[in-house]
Amino acid sequence: MVQEKITQSSEISKEKIKQLKETAKQVRLHIVKMIHKAQSGHPGGSLSAADIMTALYFDILTVDPKNPRWPDRDRFVLSKGHACPVWYVCLALRGFFPVEELDTLRQFESRLQGHPVSTKTPGVDATTGSLGIGFAQAIGMALEGKWLKKNYKVYALLGDGEMQEGVIWEAAASANKYKLDNLVAIIDNNNLQNDGFTDSIMPIEPLDKKFEAFGWTTRRIDGHNMEQVLTTLREAKAHRGSPFCIIAQTVKGKGVSFMENVRGWHGKPPSDQELAQAIQEIEGGLK
Amino acid sequence: MSRTMEKGSATIPVKVELRKTDSPTRKSFSERMVEYGELDKSFVVFESDIGYSTYSYLFGNKYPDRYYNMGIAELGTMAAAAGFAADGRTVIVSGYGVFLTMRAVEVVRSFICYPHLNVKILSSHGGLTAAIDGVTHQATEDIAYMSTLPEMKVLVPCDTVSARGAFDIAMRTPGPVFTRLMRDPLWDIYSAEETFVLGGSKILRKGDGITLVSYGDIVFQALEAAETLRSKGIEAEVIDMYSVKPFDAETLLASARKTGAVLVAENHQKRNGLGYEIATFLLKQGGGLVDGGRRILFDNLGLDDTFGESGNYFKVIDKYGISARAIAEAAEGLLRKR
Repeated sequence: MVQEKITQSSEISKEKIKQLKETAKQVRLHIVKMIHKAQSGHPGGSLSAADIMTALYFDILTVDPKNPRWPDRDRFVLSKGHACPVWYVCLALRGFFPVEELDTLRQFESRLQGHPVSTKTPGVDATTGSLGIGFAQAIGMALEGKWLKKNYKVYALLGDGEMQEGVIWEAAASANKYKLDNLVAIIDNNNLQNDGFTDSIMPIEPLDKKFEAFGWTTRRIDGHNMEQVLTTLREAKAHRGSPFCIIAQTVKGKGVSFMENVRGWHGKPPSDQELAQAIQEIEGGLK
Repeated sequence: MSRTMEKGSATIPVKVELRKTDSPTRKSFSERMVEYGELDKSFVVFESDIGYSTYSYLFGNKYPDRYYNMGIAELGTMAAAAGFAADGRTVIVSGYGVFLTMRAVEVVRSFICYPHLNVKILSSHGGLTAAIDGVTHQATEDIAYMSTLPEMKVLVPCDTVSARGAFDIAMRTPGPVFTRLMRDPLWDIYSAEETFVLGGSKILRKGDGITLVSYGDIVFQALEAAETLRSKGIEAEVIDMYSVKPFDAETLLASARKTGAVLVAENHQKRNGLGYEIATFLLKQGGGLVDGGRRILFDNLGLDDTFGESGNYFKVIDKYGISARAIAEAAEGLLRKR
């Protein structure tokens, strides 16, 4: 508890934020490169989640790359499994497997499957790729943590389009019943899904009111403001008494101008020319 | 996992005696679960609000901290069970076959079977044993769904003793196991000392005229059919194939070679049930020609591309062609083809 109080009250240094921003840009570079190499994958939803995932893997999560199944580790579930490029990059940069392996995304006999597979990739706690189900699995992980009286937390990253799945609300209700304050859901609210804008395909708002009505504590943040992301994730990590939901406003394709907020970049790889431009823009942002 | 796969084979029960019982297999399975819970404190049970029907409430009453009633939400329940089992723990999911194997089939496939999790499915109301409840509650395709999934094992006990045996098999078998159970009590045939293994079977009656293969409630119908056939001079061999996947192919083949005729009767769709599995297996033994060129006659009984309906169990199974009468008639019809 003492440790947690220190974490909660400690100032986040400017240097820390700067470091994480730099890392997030590296993450984005790897994302566009690996999807280009594979000529397949989902860049839009990977880029929108890049800042959140960077904060999780380079500050928040207690994990051990040398012992991926360490029983006391924090769990992470990518419920929006199609965004696995961003996860694979974070895992590789954290040392779960070699960075060079990112080039094998979606290739024959690769450990980096098209959607995350727990039995193949070190650091992947749950197989996902069917929207809604990852979040429901996170409930079970949090229940096990409570049952074992462990201190680890379970973090789940969800898409906003995923909120249309009925099972999300089965899971949300059960988190309330069992007072799963070891569970943190982060919604990557980029307002785009495969077929168009989320609020036109099937409106899902108001997400904060919905989750509050289900007994969750909620926060709305700018999912690309690293300081806000980090502060809120640290708050969630220290929070007790209820499950915690962060609704992170994001931009699909963030960091690459021609991908930003464009429906067509949900599941399309960049061409050689597009990759060159994407790299230039992301690296340009480094300055 | 240090547990190894069992080598199945047929055993001949000490005694086969039909005794009326007031305990349906769903209840016996759950009672064994409660006993086992004392021996092994490492597993938990998930229920979706039919605990008083599946009798999983018995476990919940005894071990409230190991029992999760997730409400009327089979999909979320199955997925949460997968999450609980993600690091290797054994989790039992209790419910009705139609909901667990059909509403939640994708979760069972992609998030339990694929990662080879130790999730054990207690599935009540299998086949037309839920006759009185009507089609929405009759799992007449569950065997097809579950046995099609890689990694999944499928068990169907017929009585109190084998239901307890099925529970033990499920617990000592690594990975996912599906056990189909019955709504209503029928008979007991096994004595308490009988043992059951994955891939095993029981030869309930020896004969050389025809092989009757069945599982679950239809085992009793097959036994009665064998009596009818005896009165007509046909000695039927009756096999309880309680391990549906993997099934005891060795015993089946030996019996088929002896009798030259196999009739499978199951409380399930004819399509993609044990009958289809056995037909395929027999065909692979040299295009159906086995044992010195003798052609093995084959037929299977089950729901013929149709749904069931509400009503008295015995009337319903008779109408849909899996009663003792139907089995005996089909057996005679099959033997006439010789």
